[in-house]
Amino acid sequence: MQRLNTLKYIKSHPELFALLATTFCCYLFLETQIDGGAFGGQGALTSIDIIVISFVVSVIIAVVAVIAGVGGGVIFTPLLLAFTSFDTLLIRSTGLVVAMFSGLISTGPLMRKGLADIKLVLLGALPIIVGGMSGSVAAIYLANNFGEKSDGIVRLLLGLMLMAIASIFIIKSGTSDYPSHKTTDALSQRLKLRKTYWESSLSSFVSYRASNIKLSIGLFLLIGFTGGFFGLGGGWAVVPLLNLVMSIPIKVATGTSGVLLALGNAAAIWPYINVGALVGIIAAPWMLGQVIGGVIGASLLASLKASIVRALLIAILLSSSLKLVVRGIETLAGLDIPIF
Amino acid sequence: MRLYQKSLIPISGVIYGQTIYWLTLASSFLVLLGTIVSFLERSSPLPASYLLQSVIDGKSKAEIWGQSSLGNTPDMLFFLANPTYGESITMIGLGLGVSSVVPATFFASYFLRKSRNPVFAVIAVLAGLLTCLAISGAAI
Repeated sequence: MQRLNTLKYIKSHPELFALLATTFCCYLFLETQIDGGAFGGQGALTSIDIIVISFVVSVIIAVVAVIAGVGGGVIFTPLLLAFTSFDTLLIRSTGLVVAMFSGLISTGPLMRKGLADIKLVLLGALPIIVGGMSGSVAAIYLANNFGEKSDGIVRLLLGLMLMAIASIFIIKSGTSDYPSHKTTDALSQRLKLRKTYWESSLSSFVSYRASNIKLSIGLFLLIGFTGGFFGLGGGWAVVPLLNLVMSIPIKVATGTSGVLLALGNAAAIWPYINVGALVGIIAAPWMLGQVIGGVIGASLLASLKASIVRALLIAILLSSSLKLVVRGIETLAGLDIPIF
Repeated sequence: MRLYQKSLIPISGVIYGQTIYWLTLASSFLVLLGTIVSFLERSSPLPASYLLQSVIDGKSKAEIWGQSSLGNTPDMLFFLANPTYGESITMIGLGLGVSSVVPATFFASYFLRKSRNPVFAVIAVLAGLLTCLAISGAAI
């Protein structure tokens, strides 16, 4: 039934169908018609195998990220930092691509359906852009001035941060579908941060009003900085912030988060591009996977069990964080710790 | 009911979303084209085999570009000036996608001002200008 819905959605958008078909043909052509051995590789895998696998993994990450309500960067960056020998700056810049493209492609449909609030997007945009750019510049400064040591520092800090994020997901699982606002926020009133949207699951209109605006702006700044610095994006934090701090219904919070992060990360990624920390041929399959996975994830959103996806996400975060902490300590202390 | 439903959705948001959606789609096709060209082209200063192997070997950005036939880091102007190379097409595609928010914020600003939301119209322009600042490289 759900497969039918996904097909129906893609069929009703011929441009998406064209992209899907062209991408499939492109990777099929590469795998079958090009001699992968001529492009190098690692172990038994040729570079073309790695490109195709990257695309498939990116689609899976996008589907999981969309359903779990987090950006793809929070899965991609820790996984690659923990389990590959790629340069950390290259991974973080590609992580921002992963974090933003599923949000970019879903911006149109979400805005058309009223599930993302343009005013909330713009309210969070400035602090996230400023924070994200500062984070990117700080990451590049650290890499330029601390060399190998910066890799260890980044892995260790990110590992510890992911453990904290995983703990939040385990402890604070109770987001509120329709949070009520008890106090009136003067700034919210002045900015007219209130809206009504059509809630199809209730077959009625739902009204909301944003609260705690000043506190939220400070938190957006912090989220932007960590997102830009680690190449994580910030979906893991923006949805809880909008829902729990600003009292935005979870559906609008999830939609707004994706749109907001796409805007915020667009500024954060340019410092990486300008110093040559983004390699097109490597970023391409990850970008395409996010675009296609974002569409599939959004159409599957209604039927899949969020609890299973959430458990999967926690497992990924915990295993990645453990590996990151170990690799960080190994680099900084010159040790060899024999853990997976 | 349906008309009322639609009337609740601000036109500024719809314009913003549609601009980004179509530019992202266009950028996806460019990135696909760039990938294919990268694997088919005979001579390029940034061959796919070299770039892929360098990244797989864990080389830093300084090593990758320093040891390439270019000898230095290519910026977006280089890619725009050499649009026939696979890597250039891919980077132009990625650049188009991540820059799609710039025209979107400016279009949204116009409609926000028309719908009497001057504060958010200004914020939209500022967000667009900040992204332009990041694109220009002046932020580093």
